[in-house]
Amino acid sequence: MIQHHPAPETLLAYSAGTLPAGRALVVMAHLQGCPHCQAEAATLDALGGALLETLTPEPLAPDAFARTLAQLDTPAPPAPRRQTPLPQPFGLTLPAALHGTRIGRWLWLGRGLRYSRVRLPWAPEANVMLLRVAPNRRVITHSHGGAEFTQVLHGGFYDATGHYEAGDLAEADEHLSHQPCAGPQGCICLAALEGGLRLPW
Amino acid sequence: MNATDAPLYFFLAATTRAVVVTEVNAPPPNGAALAALIARVASAQDRTAFAALFKYFAPRVKAYLRRAGLTPAAAEEVTQQVMLAVWRKADHFDPAIAGAASWVFAIARNARIDHARRQRDLPAAPDPAEEPQAPSAETLLLTAERATRLHKALAALGPEQRQIVQLSFFSDTPHTAIARALNLPLGTVKSRIRLGLAKLRDLLEDAP
Ligand SMILES: [Zn+2]
Repeated sequence: MIQHHPAPETLLAYSAGTLPAGRALVVMAHLQGCPHCQAEAATLDALGGALLETLTPEPLAPDAFARTLAQLDTPAPPAPRRQTPLPQPFGLTLPAALHGTRIGRWLWLGRGLRYSRVRLPWAPEANVMLLRVAPNRRVITHSHGGAEFTQVLHGGFYDATGHYEAGDLAEADEHLSHQPCAGPQGCICLAALEGGLRLPW
Repeated sequence: MNATDAPLYFFLAATTRAVVVTEVNAPPPNGAALAALIARVASAQDRTAFAALFKYFAPRVKAYLRRAGLTPAAAEEVTQQVMLAVWRKADHFDPAIAGAASWVFAIARNARIDHARRQRDLPAAPDPAEEPQAPSAETLLLTAERATRLHKALAALGPEQRQIVQLSFFSDTPHTAIARALNLPLGTVKSRIRLGLAKLRDLLEDAP
């Protein structure tokens, strides 16, 4: 049962297309597992459609339709090739949102803590990673230069703001300083960080 | 208006490849008629149906892109790409998942994002619409009447909250734009957006 969803204004920004790429990817991963938010996002897209219809039409160049017609028979460019999924622990299936990303190998980051960099060819500046925390392991206290979105893929974690299980999305802003702790099954999550981590030293 | 007898269009092919579309006494198509036009493009590559979709949506998509900060030339170009995508993706259109305007909006939004990336020599992200998506019971129920109810709810929204919603969708930097337009401190914008959305939701739920 999913308990934690993206904030309403986050889903709005996602639907409007103004959410930065890293956070948008994490929200998409959440949506793919959350029928509730899928319905919310569909309503917001419909709101975008309704607003589109209220705009004062702006005339196109006289030859715009002809130029579009001339392209109708050109075949669409092929879709980008998909990376063969890397084997993941616990038989974990990665969210479809990660298609087209380049997922690195698991690297050691600290005791009981591994990460794997997720690169977005369409947004090289995005700081996205898979994090894997051993059962009951505490991550050191940190705050963020900006927002941190975390989608739990396996297991769970908790911090002062609540318990997060598989399917939940945690939004932390730049004001939150927290010390997440993995649950008894450990935790694998997809995280997008803006502005990097701020460690207490 | 019935879907099949919908708009009547004449194609007047000039000496060049230019095609002029003339509409004869057809009212603007409603949601169901627009959905039927997309279905005709999908099932029969119907260019008359496509012409009607172009006539209705292209000038609105261009207006949207202009509001998002694209130059007139770029907006013109990207609008044509959006309409080309409408033609190519018509068979992905499922009226049980999205209404016509909602579907075109999503294509235009993605084209806007892709355009910004192209400006930086970056590739486009994979199209999430190509991922299999099963409509939930909730979306199925909603889609039929959603567009009409949304238009009513938008009309009933206070001018300030309507502006918040509009800027959220149309501005490239919505928070800054909302703060400036309504003369609000930037820190309060998030809660104002949340309030506006809650109000809209109330109106949607109250709608008959
Ligand atoms: Zn959700």
